[in-house]
Amino acid sequence: MEFDKKSLLKLGKLARISISDDKLNNLSKDLNSILEFVDQLKEIKTDQVDPTSNSLNQKLEVRDDKVDTKNSAEDILENAPEKEMDFFVVPKVIE
Amino acid sequence: MKDSYTLKSLAVLLENNKISSKELTSEYLKNIENGKELNCYNTISQEKALIDAEKSDERRKSQNLRSKYDGIPIGIKDLFCTKGVTTTASSKILSNFVPNYESTVTQNCDDAGLISLGKLNCDEFAMGSTNKTSFFGSVKNPWKSVNSDYELVPGGSSGGSAAAVSGDLCVASLGTDTGGSIRQPASFTGTVGLKPSYGRVSRWGIVAFASSLDQAGPITKTVEDAAILLDIISGHDEKDSTSSVNPKENYYENLNSDIKGMKIGIPKEFRSDKLPASTQKSWDECANLLKTNGAEIVDISLPHTMSALPAYYIIAPAEASSNLARYDGVRYGLRVKGNDLIDMYEKTRSEGFGDEVKRRILIGTYVLSSGYYDAYYIKAQKIRSLIKSDYVEAFKKVDAILTPSTPSTAFEIANEPSDPVQNYLNDIFTVPVNLAGLPGISIPYANDENNLPIGLQLITNSFEEQKLLNVAKNIEETINYSETPEKWWLK
Repeated sequence: MEFDKKSLLKLGKLARISISDDKLNNLSKDLNSILEFVDQLKEIKTDQVDPTSNSLNQKLEVRDDKVDTKNSAEDILENAPEKEMDFFVVPKVIE
Repeated sequence: MKDSYTLKSLAVLLENNKISSKELTSEYLKNIENGKELNCYNTISQEKALIDAEKSDERRKSQNLRSKYDGIPIGIKDLFCTKGVTTTASSKILSNFVPNYESTVTQNCDDAGLISLGKLNCDEFAMGSTNKTSFFGSVKNPWKSVNSDYELVPGGSSGGSAAAVSGDLCVASLGTDTGGSIRQPASFTGTVGLKPSYGRVSRWGIVAFASSLDQAGPITKTVEDAAILLDIISGHDEKDSTSSVNPKENYYENLNSDIKGMKIGIPKEFRSDKLPASTQKSWDECANLLKTNGAEIVDISLPHTMSALPAYYIIAPAEASSNLARYDGVRYGLRVKGNDLIDMYEKTRSEGFGDEVKRRILIGTYVLSSGYYDAYYIKAQKIRSLIKSDYVEAFKKVDAILTPSTPSTAFEIANEPSDPVQNYLNDIFTVPVNLAGLPGISIPYANDENNLPIGLQLITNSFEEQKLLNVAKNIEETINYSETPEKWWLK
C-alpha cells in the first residue's frame, strides 16, 4: 500500500488540502487504485526516449516590450474575498 | 421549435426576415425553462440575451451585421470566463466568481454577433466523464433507453454543452476537451463534437485544467455547423503563447465531401472483445461505406495506444495540481476562515473542491513530488513521445483514422462505478488524441439496440481540420443520421 494514513496526510499538507479522518479510508483506496493503474507504464522501456511536454512544435515568440495599462489594481482586486486599499488581506503571517 | 434548426438554417431564416433574433432567443429561453429538469445550464442569461438579441436585430435593420450568423443564440460551457456573467467551472470554490474579462473564444463569438443564452453545466473543473462531479448536480441525458425509464449520463465533462444541443436548449454550444470532454458527451447524445488541434483555438480566459492538453471546440447538430463555429472561434491569439501562428482555413467554405483516393486507417489496437457488438458493427459498416465512397481502407497499428490512458492520468493531474494551486482563498473565489494563513488555505481548498478534483490534485502532487518526479511525471512524458510518434508514422500511410468514440453508449446515472479507474476507461479512445495534440471529431453514426446514439471518431494529422471535416461530412451525407430524443421532460 503506497498511500497509508501517514503518507496521505503528508500529501494533503503538500497540496494544502485538509483531509478529515472519515475520508482517509476511501481516499487511500481510490489513490492506490489510480497508482496501480498508472504503474503499468513501468513495463515500457523508455531509456532512449525524450520526454514531450507539449505537442506543439512552435517557437515561443517574444512580444514587444511595450507598456500596457491593462490589469489595474481595481480590476485585479474586484473579486478579492477581503481587501484593503490596493492590497489583498490574509490572516496574519508574522507575529 | 423545429428540430431541423442549425446554424446554417437559422442564418437563412434571419437573412430572409422569417424570424428575428429576439424571437429566436425567446424561443430558446422558453426551451431552457421547459427543460430545467435536464439541469443543462448553471446560469441562464435571460435579460442579457434578450438585450443582445435586440441589438442584433437593430444591426440587421441598419445592415451593419457582424457576420452571417449575427443574432443566433448559443450555449457556453461554464469554463469560459465571461465578463459580468458568473463563471463557476461547476465548482463550489468559484461559485461566486464574476470575471471582469472575456475569454478570447467567447469574444470571437461576440465579434461574430452570436448571443450567449447562458453558461452550461460540466464536470467540476472539467474533470469527469459523466457530469456527476459538478457542484450543481448531474446533467441528464435527453436520451433514454427504450427498455427502461432510468436517467442516463450525458457524458462529460462538456455534458451540459452536449445535452443542451441534443435537447434543443441551444442550436450549438462551446465545450472544452482535455481527454475527450467534447467527443465523449457528443457520442453519448447523438451530436457532433470537434476537438481542434492543440493550438488551433486560444485557451486564454478558459479556466485551466491541464494546459498542455486543453482545447476548446464546438458541439453542434451537423458537421457543417462544426465548421461554421470553428471558423468563428479559431485563430492565433497573442494572449495565448501556445496558440498556433499557422493561418486558419475557411473550413465551412472549403467543405468538400469528396474522399476519392483518400486512405482511411483502422487501428488494430482499438479493437476489443469488450466493445459492444452494435458499436463494432457501426465501425465496420462505416469503414465499408467509406470504401464504397472511394476511399481505401488500410489496417494500421498504433502500438502504444493502451499506455495513453495511464500516461494521461499522470500528466493531466500533474498539470491540474499546478493550475489549481491558484485557488487559495486569497485573490478570488471562496474563502473559508482559518486559524492562520496555512489553515485558511487548507480549509478553503478542502471545502471548495469536490472529491474527484481533490483526488486529481493529490495524485498530481504525488507524481510531481521529490523522489517520484522522474519515475512518474518524466516517464509519462516519454510515453507521450511514443504515442505521438505512433501517429506520426500512421499519418505517413493514411489521411485519417476511424475509431469508435467511446467503449459504450450512455449508461445510467445511478450506475457509475465507485472505482475512479473504471470511470477513466470511458476516455480510452479519445485520450491518445489529446496527448498527440491532434484534431478529432465524434459524429453520430447509428443508434444501438436500446435506441441510444453510437458515435464514431475521426482523427487527422495536426492542423488538418479541413480534411477531418471533409471525411466527417462524407459520412454524414451518406448515412443521413436524423434520430432525435423523445422530449420526455416536456410531459
